[in-house]
Amino acid sequence: MDYKSQPVSGQSQLEMGALNGESVHESDDESLYSPEKETYNCSIPKIERGSSSGNSQASINVMLRNVYKSIKIVVFSNKLNLLIPFGPIAILVKKLNGGHAWVFFLSLLGITPLAERLGYATEQLAFFTGPTVGGLLNATFGNATELIISIYALKSGMVRVVQLSLLGSILSNMLLVLGCAFFCGGLVCHKEQRFKKETAVVNSGLLLMAVMGLLFPAVLHYTHTEVHSGQSELALSRFSSCVMLVAYAAYLFFQLKSHRNLYEALNEDGSSIEEGSNDDESAEISKWESIIWLFIMTTWISILSEYLVHAIEGTSIAWNLPLTFISVILLPIVGNAAEHASAIMFAMKDKLDISLGVAIGSSTQISMFGIPFSVVVGWMMGQRMDLDFQLFETATLFITVLVVAFMLQEGTSNYFKGLMLILCYLIVAASFFVHEDPSQGDDNQPKT
Amino acid sequence: KKLHPIYTAESGSSSGGSWVSGIKTLIYVVYKSIRTVVFSNKLNFLLPFGPAAILAWVFFLSLVGIAPLAERLGYATEQLAFFTEPTVGGLLNATFGNATELIISIFALKSGLIRIVQLSLLGSILSNLLLVLGCAFLCGGLVLQKEQLFNKVTAVVNSGLLLMAVMGLLLPTVLHYTHTEVYFGKSELDLSRFSSCIMLVTYAAYLLFQLKSQSDQYVSLNEIEEGVDDDKAPQISKWESVIWLLVITTCVSILSEYLVDTIEGTAIALNIPLSFISVILLPLVGNAVDHASAITFAMKDKLDITLGVSIGSTTQIALFVIPFSVVLGWIMGQAMDLNFQLFETTTLVISILVVALMLQEGTSHYFKGLILLLCYLIVAASFFVHDSSAGEEKN
Repeated sequence: MDYKSQPVSGQSQLEMGALNGESVHESDDESLYSPEKETYNCSIPKIERGSSSGNSQASINVMLRNVYKSIKIVVFSNKLNLLIPFGPIAILVKKLNGGHAWVFFLSLLGITPLAERLGYATEQLAFFTGPTVGGLLNATFGNATELIISIYALKSGMVRVVQLSLLGSILSNMLLVLGCAFFCGGLVCHKEQRFKKETAVVNSGLLLMAVMGLLFPAVLHYTHTEVHSGQSELALSRFSSCVMLVAYAAYLFFQLKSHRNLYEALNEDGSSIEEGSNDDESAEISKWESIIWLFIMTTWISILSEYLVHAIEGTSIAWNLPLTFISVILLPIVGNAAEHASAIMFAMKDKLDISLGVAIGSSTQISMFGIPFSVVVGWMMGQRMDLDFQLFETATLFITVLVVAFMLQEGTSNYFKGLMLILCYLIVAASFFVHEDPSQGDDNQPKT
Repeated sequence: KKLHPIYTAESGSSSGGSWVSGIKTLIYVVYKSIRTVVFSNKLNFLLPFGPAAILAWVFFLSLVGIAPLAERLGYATEQLAFFTEPTVGGLLNATFGNATELIISIFALKSGLIRIVQLSLLGSILSNLLLVLGCAFLCGGLVLQKEQLFNKVTAVVNSGLLLMAVMGLLLPTVLHYTHTEVYFGKSELDLSRFSSCIMLVTYAAYLLFQLKSQSDQYVSLNEIEEGVDDDKAPQISKWESVIWLLVITTCVSILSEYLVDTIEGTAIALNIPLSFISVILLPLVGNAVDHASAITFAMKDKLDITLGVSIGSTTQIALFVIPFSVVLGWIMGQAMDLNFQLFETTTLVISILVVALMLQEGTSHYFKGLILLLCYLIVAASFFVHDSSAGEEKN
């Protein structure tokens, strides 16, 4: 989610460090903020100077030109944005009382480009802020789409959908995205690719900690051994969520401040990428434009998410698919489509650290930030969101984390590992296809 | 040097002085011994809590009173180990290293409090694995500001042993939980007893492996200790060690009996689940000393010793104390088995996996320690809301 393939600056993408946009901000250290003025658009500074001296008619022209330029860069420069019109179409369909399934499908398609552009805007904004704030931005907005969908689902009391969609996002990132990346990278590069295993091990540890946080409430509930039935898992979940958020904050600190050397991207020969090649990597739109676009994209995604969330149950009935399958498999595939593409692209360029950063970093973010954050938000909203994901889902997560941890612990990858991960994902998807969620009918009521 | 007064005193008595001077030297020896053993450690100011416990607030006071005794027990064992061969010394450490837990378990077994035995041993493992190791990594990483290395071969071997212990616990538990045993109520017990024997054999083999191959793999440990220990000579004589060993063991036993008798009452009185007291509070105190020494060594960049203390202790409990309790229960006629119930066993599995993953690289930094520590927080919180009375029919 952190590294969108910008068509304009293909090769310089390699500077987009290891995990969460970290060395993007290292490049900031070098090229600081001066290049921004000269690189992105020679015409704009002239226009700005012109506006400060011209009369009101000229300045309106100038503003229009700015806006036009901005739109051109942000909206029209990415092929994925062809899907943008689907968003308004979805709203139209809903207004015309079209089928839930259509609304769901269209809004899903409509969100995809917006998610990608949101990542782009975040990246651009990160150029203008310091490395730390930039890293934090990436860390928070990296999975903004999932967070926004979760918040809307929580508002509607659809706790189960939140749990399933977040779980699905983790599974998709760990198995599908990583598997495809390893597979394509192995096939294209015809060799064993290496990556930094220290970061992989730390991330695996965090994922296992997240599994622990999820496992205990689930087993507590399942074995009926809680002290206050119905209350204990909720209290435990809330406590564990706070602990997990603390761990995530410490992880950000660890990543961005104290162990930055661990997160430098590797060249093919294992040496760190030099700063020199960062010079042509700079912002394409100005700071305020980034912020404005960030807001616009977020608003758009929120609107579409609302439609998405309301249509989801109707869709499951219309298409005769289990709700779990839609939440766990379909939703994330689309939500992660852009990350998916960029991870594969980086793997094929033999920059596996970046792929890992995208895939595993995103999983860690969702499991250690997205999920506990939803619990806390639910706490504030008064919704009974807890970490009891039910035994089947928790078991799936557990075994997935184990498989991935083992695959990663060596620090090498080949196409076969990728293939195994993809096939594991197929098995997981098939399991959810035939999985009847026991608490499905209770989405809008307090959990038993 | 401290040695001289004792030996001159002894030689004085053996040179055939009068009967009175013999008694004088004996008193002198005893005095010196007491001074060395009892007063030289700051922790011992907690000793009076022991007798006070007999009067009131039995549980907490005996808990606090046991802490210094546990430490002194370790000290006496160490001293005795100087006088025996390395092999026997190693065996001594291996057996008495967790003597406190052993003694508490024996008393609990005698009273038929099987669940408490299981929970306290489980808690001891969890505390060593997550809390002690986490604190050590965290403090070491923060103080030394660098990544510390340790011998990962031993860590991996220990992880393997721990996973084997988990297997021994997991199978009876799942058997019971899925109601698929052949003879309901009897099969898990038989399976547990058989598995315990196998685990004890494994532990014996592990000791052999450790002691015999001390030359190659544990060289780093010895080299470090050699430098540190040059001025470390036995501070008390051999017979004194043995006597002190017996004295302290007796004290620990007395306090343990009180501890075990009052544990259920305390749970009800304080309205805390029994599982929380057994799993979290008991081991906190029982391991307090291990805890402190592990952190000290980590901050001195002697991470191998830290690992030896924490992971070694864990392996000892998992592969020796637990099976030993089962066998002891077998002898006593108590139905102690390895079915620790699903929740507890799950906790153990996931904890061991997290630790095994953290250790397999052979490096540590403060963040790994923080992860382990936070995991322990989550575990503690889970046991706080966990009712471990094992609602199903437990004999």
